[in-house]
Amino acid sequence: MNLKKVLSPEDIIISLEATSKEEVIKEMVDHLYKRGKIEDREAALQAILEREKKMSTGLEKGVALPHGKCEAVKELIAAIALKREGVDFDSIDGQPAQIFIMTLSPLNRSGPHIQFLAEVTRLLKSKEKREKILQASSKEEVLELFCS
Amino acid sequence: MRLISQNRRKNFLVFLFFFLAMGGTALFAKEGTQEMGQKMTLLVLQLAIIVIAARFFGIVFSRFFHQPRVLGELVAGMTIGPYALGAISLPLLNSPLFPRGEGFLPVTPELYGLAVIASIVLLFMSGLETDLPTFLRFSLVGTAVGVGGVILSFFLGALIAVLLLPGVDSFISPPALFLGALSTATSVGITARVLNERRKMSSPEGVTILAGAVLDDVLGIVILAVVVGISRVNASGSEMEWAHIGTIALKAFGFWIICTVLGILSANRLTRGLKWLRSNDAIAGVALGLALFLAGLAEMAGLAMIIGAYIMGLSLSQTDIASELRNRIHGVYNFLVPVFFCVMGMMVNFAAMKGILIFGVIYAAFAIMGKVIGCGVPAYLMGFNLRGAFRVGAGMLPRGEVTLIIAGVGLSAGAIGADLFGVAIVTLLIASIIAPPILVKSFDGGSGLRKESLLKKEEKGCRIRLEFPSPHIASFIRNRIIEAFENEEFFVHRLNIEGMIYHIKKEDIFITLQQKEGLIELSTSEENRTLVSLIVMEEILALKDLFEAVEKLKRPELVCEELAAGLFSDDEEKSE
Repeated sequence: MNLKKVLSPEDIIISLEATSKEEVIKEMVDHLYKRGKIEDREAALQAILEREKKMSTGLEKGVALPHGKCEAVKELIAAIALKREGVDFDSIDGQPAQIFIMTLSPLNRSGPHIQFLAEVTRLLKSKEKREKILQASSKEEVLELFCS
Repeated sequence: MRLISQNRRKNFLVFLFFFLAMGGTALFAKEGTQEMGQKMTLLVLQLAIIVIAARFFGIVFSRFFHQPRVLGELVAGMTIGPYALGAISLPLLNSPLFPRGEGFLPVTPELYGLAVIASIVLLFMSGLETDLPTFLRFSLVGTAVGVGGVILSFFLGALIAVLLLPGVDSFISPPALFLGALSTATSVGITARVLNERRKMSSPEGVTILAGAVLDDVLGIVILAVVVGISRVNASGSEMEWAHIGTIALKAFGFWIICTVLGILSANRLTRGLKWLRSNDAIAGVALGLALFLAGLAEMAGLAMIIGAYIMGLSLSQTDIASELRNRIHGVYNFLVPVFFCVMGMMVNFAAMKGILIFGVIYAAFAIMGKVIGCGVPAYLMGFNLRGAFRVGAGMLPRGEVTLIIAGVGLSAGAIGADLFGVAIVTLLIASIIAPPILVKSFDGGSGLRKESLLKKEEKGCRIRLEFPSPHIASFIRNRIIEAFENEEFFVHRLNIEGMIYHIKKEDIFITLQQKEGLIELSTSEENRTLVSLIVMEEILALKDLFEAVEKLKRPELVCEELAAGLFSDDEEKSE
C-alpha cells in the first residue's frame, strides 16, 4: 500500500504541544480541520473520543493509533504527530506514547482504512525505525521514513 | 432482513423447480396426456425418494463415518438404484420405482436430464468458486504439479485399458480415452477440509495443491471435450486418423481459450448489464440462464455441456457479484447437486463389475499411482523434499464431480459400458476414502521443503484463535469479520459449500478463516498479523456498541413478559 497517497508533509506535526491524551487528539483533529480535510470538527472529535472510550488505541512501544469513522470526512485522511517526551495514552504496556498516527474514514464506505493503519503499524515494528522517526528534524524526513 | 433474503432464495428455488417441470411438461406434451401424466408422476416420486435418500445417506456418512457427504449421496444412489432396491416392483405403481432405461443408460431419460441440469449448475458453481488469484500466485509450481498429474494419470489410465481390456488395442479407442480422462480430475474439497483441520492451508504444500487442482479441473474438462469428439467420430464408424484427433483437440482448446478469454474480458461489462436488473434474484437467475445457454452452445459445438457452464462461472468468478451469485445459487445447488451424485450412484451395476474386478483393482492402484507420482515428481523438482512431494501427490488424490461427469458422458455416449462405469465410480470412492487418512499421516514430521527451496518464505505463519461461548455467537462474529474484510476491499471466497472455510485475499495478502462450532481461527503470514488483529479487534469492539444498544432498548425480561402476556386468554376475555 502506498502511504504517500494518503500522507503529505503537511499532515505531520513534528512536535506536539499537548500534554494529555485528550489534548493530543484535539490538537491533531484541529490540525486536520485547519487543513480543510474535515468538514465538521466536533463530529470528527466525537468519533475519535468514542472509539477511545471503548478501548484505548495506545498500543506498545510508544505508538498510538487514534482513529474513528464519521460523516465529517469524504475519504480516508491521516495525520502523524510526535511528542518526544511522551504522553500518557492508557497504552497496553503502560508506557507513554510518543508516535501518534490518526486516521478518520467515512462511515458506511468501503476502502482500505484498517489496512492503512496496519501498514503504518508494521513499519513501526522496528525499534531502529521508531528511534529514527523520533530523531527526525523535519516533516519531510518523517514522511520519508514512513514511506521508505 | 435475513428472513426476507431467505424467502427470496426459496422463491428462486421454487421458480427454478417450476421452470424445469414446465420444460418437462412441454417436452412430453406430444406423447399424450395419460402417458405424460404417468411419466411425470414417476419422475416426481423418483425425485422425492432421491432427495430424501441422498440427504439421509449424506448425513449418515458425514456424522457417523466422518466422510464427505457426496460419498454418502453416491452410495444412496447405489442402494436405491435400478440395480438394487429400485428394481423391486411396487404394488401401487405396478412397476419398479426405478425402471431400467433403454439404450446405454440404466435410468429414465427424464431423470438423466435432471442430472445433466444438476451437473451444469454444479460446474457453473465450480467455475464461480475457482480460485484464480491463488492459481496465478502459484502458477509456476501449480502448473507443473497439475500438468504432471494429468499427463501421467491419463497415460497410465489409458495404458491399463490397452494392456488389460479385451478389444481395446489402441490409445485412441473410446474406452482407453475415457479411462485415461477419468484418472485426471481432482476434487480439492476433500483435501481442503483435511488441510484446514491440520492447519496447513497456507503451507507451501497447501497452496501448491490448491493451484494444481484448478488446472487439473480445467485440463480434465478440456480432455473430456477431446475425448467426446474422438468417440463421436469412432461411433459414426469413420476411421480415426491422428490429423483428425489434432483437429478435434484444436477445436476443444480453441473453444475453451476463446470463450474463457472473451468471458473474462467481457465479465465487467456483463456484470454492469446484469446490475441493470436491480434485483439480486434476477441477476442470479439470468446468470444461471446464461450458463445453461453457453452449455447448450458448447454441446452444439461438439463439446461437453459442462465446459460452457464452467466457462460462464469462471468468467464471473472475479467480478464483484460473484459472492452474491454464489449465495443466491446456493439454494438451487443444494437441491440439485445431491440429485446428481445420487443418479450417478444409481448407474453402478454391481453384476456387470464382477467380470472385471481384478481389472478394477489394478486400475484404481494405477490411478492413485499416477497422481502421487505425476504430481509428486514435479513438486520435488520445484523445491519440495520427498516428504513434501508425497504430501502434494496425496493431496491431489481425491476424485469428484468432474470424474463423475466424464463417466456419465462416457456411459451415455456408449463409449464405456456399465462395467467400466462401475470401475470408475469405485475408483473414485477408493481414492476419496483413502486420501484423507494418508494426507493426515503425511503431515506428521517436519518441513516438506528442501533447505535451499525458494518456497521457504511461505512457511512462516501465524494463527489467531477466538473462542466464543456458542456456535451462534461465533457465526455472527464470523459474518461480521467477513463483512469487515469486504469493506476493506478484500475478496472473500468460501472454499467449500459444506464447511466453514474462507479464503480472504487482496493483492499478495492471503488469509484463511475457519469456524468450527464456537471457535474461529484465522491463519496468515506473520507479516499480515497486524492487519488481521486490527480488523478483528475493531469488529469485537463494535459488538460492544451493539450490546449496549440492545440493553438500552428495554430490559429483555420486560419485552418477554409483554410477548408472553395474553397467550392463554380466550376470545371471551378479549372481547371484554
